[in-house]
Amino acid sequence: MNPVFHIALDEWRYWRRSRLGAAATLVTLVLLVASSVVTYQTVTAERQARDQLQDAAQSIFLDQPARHPHRMVHYGHYAFRTPPPLALADPGVDQFTGAAVFLEGHRQNSATFSPAYSGPQGIRFANLSPATVYQVLVPLLLVVVGFSAFSRERELRTDQMLLAAPVGPGQIWLGKTLALVGLALVLLLPLLLLVLLIGEDRLAGLVLVAGYAVYLLVWASITVSVSARSRASSSSLVVLLALWLAVCIVVPRGASTAAQALLPIPSKVETDLAVADAVRNLGDGHNAGDPAFARLRANLLAEYGVDRVEDLPVNFRGVVAEASEADLTKVMDDFAERYAGQELAQAQLLRWASVLSPMLALRAFSTTMAGTDLAHRHQFLREAEAIRYEFVQGLNRAHASELTYSDDMQRSRDAASEKRTRVSPTNWATALKEFHLQVNPASERWQRAFPYLLLLAVFAALAAGLGLSRRTAKGWA
Amino acid sequence: MEQPILEARSLTVQRGGHRVLQNVSFTAQRGEVFALLGGNGAGKSTTLLTFLGLIPPESGEALAFGEPVHGNVDALRRKAAYLPETASLYPHLNAWENVRYFLSLSRSPRPQQDVAEAFDQVSLAVDARDRRLESYSKGMRQKVAIALALLRGVPLLLLDEPTSGLDPVAIDEFNALITRLAGEGTTVMMVTHDVYGACQVARRVGLLRRGEFVGLFEAPADGMISADELHQAFASSHAG
Repeated sequence: MNPVFHIALDEWRYWRRSRLGAAATLVTLVLLVASSVVTYQTVTAERQARDQLQDAAQSIFLDQPARHPHRMVHYGHYAFRTPPPLALADPGVDQFTGAAVFLEGHRQNSATFSPAYSGPQGIRFANLSPATVYQVLVPLLLVVVGFSAFSRERELRTDQMLLAAPVGPGQIWLGKTLALVGLALVLLLPLLLLVLLIGEDRLAGLVLVAGYAVYLLVWASITVSVSARSRASSSSLVVLLALWLAVCIVVPRGASTAAQALLPIPSKVETDLAVADAVRNLGDGHNAGDPAFARLRANLLAEYGVDRVEDLPVNFRGVVAEASEADLTKVMDDFAERYAGQELAQAQLLRWASVLSPMLALRAFSTTMAGTDLAHRHQFLREAEAIRYEFVQGLNRAHASELTYSDDMQRSRDAASEKRTRVSPTNWATALKEFHLQVNPASERWQRAFPYLLLLAVFAALAAGLGLSRRTAKGWA
Repeated sequence: MEQPILEARSLTVQRGGHRVLQNVSFTAQRGEVFALLGGNGAGKSTTLLTFLGLIPPESGEALAFGEPVHGNVDALRRKAAYLPETASLYPHLNAWENVRYFLSLSRSPRPQQDVAEAFDQVSLAVDARDRRLESYSKGMRQKVAIALALLRGVPLLLLDEPTSGLDPVAIDEFNALITRLAGEGTTVMMVTHDVYGACQVARRVGLLRRGEFVGLFEAPADGMISADELHQAFASSHAG
C-alpha cells in the first residue's frame, strides 16, 4: 500500500485513540443526524400540509355558490409555496420568507406565514438545518480534529523519523489531508442518505452532496496546510480558529450588513405608499363613472355604435373592472420587479463576497441546487401573481359577459336584479387554475450553481498549493 | 581502495544563521563502525542530519554510496536507517504498531516473527510490547527505535547517541549487536559524547570541536582504540 494511505490510516487511529477527536466527531455526527431527522420530519410535514392546504383552498373557492363575480374577486384565494424536495437538505430562504400569498383583486399581497416565525417549537430547531451544520459546524470539527496533524509530528519529533522513513513532506500532507477528507466523507453520509431518501430530484441531490464534499475538502486542505506551516500546535489552532471565525461568521455577517447599507431596500410601508401614489390616477375600477375611464367608454360606444352604456352588449362595469385590473397590475408588477431586482442586487453583492468566504460560495451553490434561493422565491411570487391575475380577469370577463349593466346597477336596490347578477359556480373553475409551484429543472439550477462550485474548487486548489508549496516543504525537509 | 559508503568532503554547514560545521572531511567504509565524538554543540547531530538530506551544506559535499546526498535524498533514505537521540516514536501506538507503521512507510514490511526477533535482540520485555509507548521509559523507547532500525535491513545506519537512556546491560547488548551488524557488512556511523562507548564499538573515531574536525583515532589491527588516550584528547579539545 502507498505510504500516503498508511499515514491517513494512522491519523484515523490517532483520532480514535485521542478522546478529543473521537468525542468531537461523535457530537458532530449526533448533531448531524438529529438536524437531518428533525428537518426531514418538519419539511416533509410542511410539504404535505401545504399541498393539502393548496387543495383545500382550491376546493373552497370552487365550492362557492352562485355569486356576483366581483364578490369572488374579493373572496380571494391562497397560493402556497410547497418546499422543493431538496429543501430537506437546505431550506435556504424558505425558512424566513412567507409560505403563502393571499390572492385577491386590485392587490399584490406579501407572502406570509414563514416557518421560522410562525411555526411551533420543533421548527425552531429545524432552523439548525443539515446545511447549516455542514456549512458552519463541520469545518469547526475538521479544525479541532486536524489542527495538530503536522505540528504534532514536529512536537513529538517524529517528523525526522517520518522524513527518514523515507516519506516526503508532500506525501505526509497528502496522507494527513486524505485522513481529514475521509472523516468529512463519513460525516457527509447523513446528507447522502437524506438525498437518497427523498426519492425525488436525486441527481440534483447528488450534485449538492458533491458541492459539500468540495467545500469540506477546502477545509481539510486549509487545516493541514496551516498545521504544516505552524511551529506549534497552539499557534496552528489559533490561526485556524481565526480563519473559521472570519470565513463562517465575520465575512457573511459583514457582507450582509454591507449589502443592506450599500443597497438599501424600501420598507413594505414605503412601497405600499409609493404604489398607492402611482395608482391614484388610474381610476377606481369599482366606479364605471370615474373620468379615468371616459376614453374607454367612448371607444366602446363607438365600437358597438351605441350611445349609452346600457345599450352595450357587454356589461360596462365588468369591462371597466378588467381594464382597471390590467392597468393596476402593470404598475404593481413594475414595483414588484423593481423590489425583486433590489433584493437580487443585495444577494449578488453577498455572492461577490464568496471570493472571501468559501462558506458563502457553498451557500449560494447549495440554495441554488436545492431550489431554495432568492430566485426561486421570486419565481413563486411571479407564478402566484400570474394565477391571481388570471382568475381575477377571468371573473372580470364573466362580470362583463354574463351580467347586464342595468342589473348590475340595480342589484343593491332590487332583489330580482341582485339574483340575476349571481353567476354560475362553473365560472370559478374556468377562472381559477390549479397552483402547484414546480422547482426549476436540475440542469437549469446546475447552470446557475456551477460558478460557485468552480470557486470552491479554486479555494481547494489554493489551500492544497499552500500545503504543497516549496516553502512548506523547505520548513520540513 | 574500495569506495567509501559515507564521505564528507570539506563539509561546511550553517544552521539558524550560524556556521556549525566548518571544512569537515572524513570517510566511513563498508562494514565499518565510525564514531564522531564531540561535546555539546560540536556539530555531531548536524553532521548526521546533513547526511540524511535534512540540512543542505553551505559548501563542500556529503556523499553516500558515492553520490551527493542532496539531489538523491529519497534514494539515500531508502538505503539508510536513522536513529535520533531521543527515540521519536508515537506514544499512542504500542511497540508492534510503531514498528509496523514505520516499516510500512519505508515499504519494507516484515513478518511478525522478524519483529519479535528484533525485539528480542534489543531485549525489549515481552510484556511491554503490547503497551502504548506513552508508558515507556526513554530507554525502552530507544530499544524500539533500535529494533526498527535493524528491521529496515539497510546497508547504512545513522545513529545519534544510540545508547542514551539505556541501562548498562542493554548498552553491552547494543554494542554487541552493532559489532555483529558491521561484521555482516552494515556501515554504521554514530555520533556520541560517550568516549568509552565509542571505543568499544568503533574502529575509527573522529573528534569534533566547535564544528571543526580536530582529530582521527584508529584502532590497531589487533585491539581497540585506547579509551584513556581518546578521553584525554576529548578533554583537552573540550577545554581548548
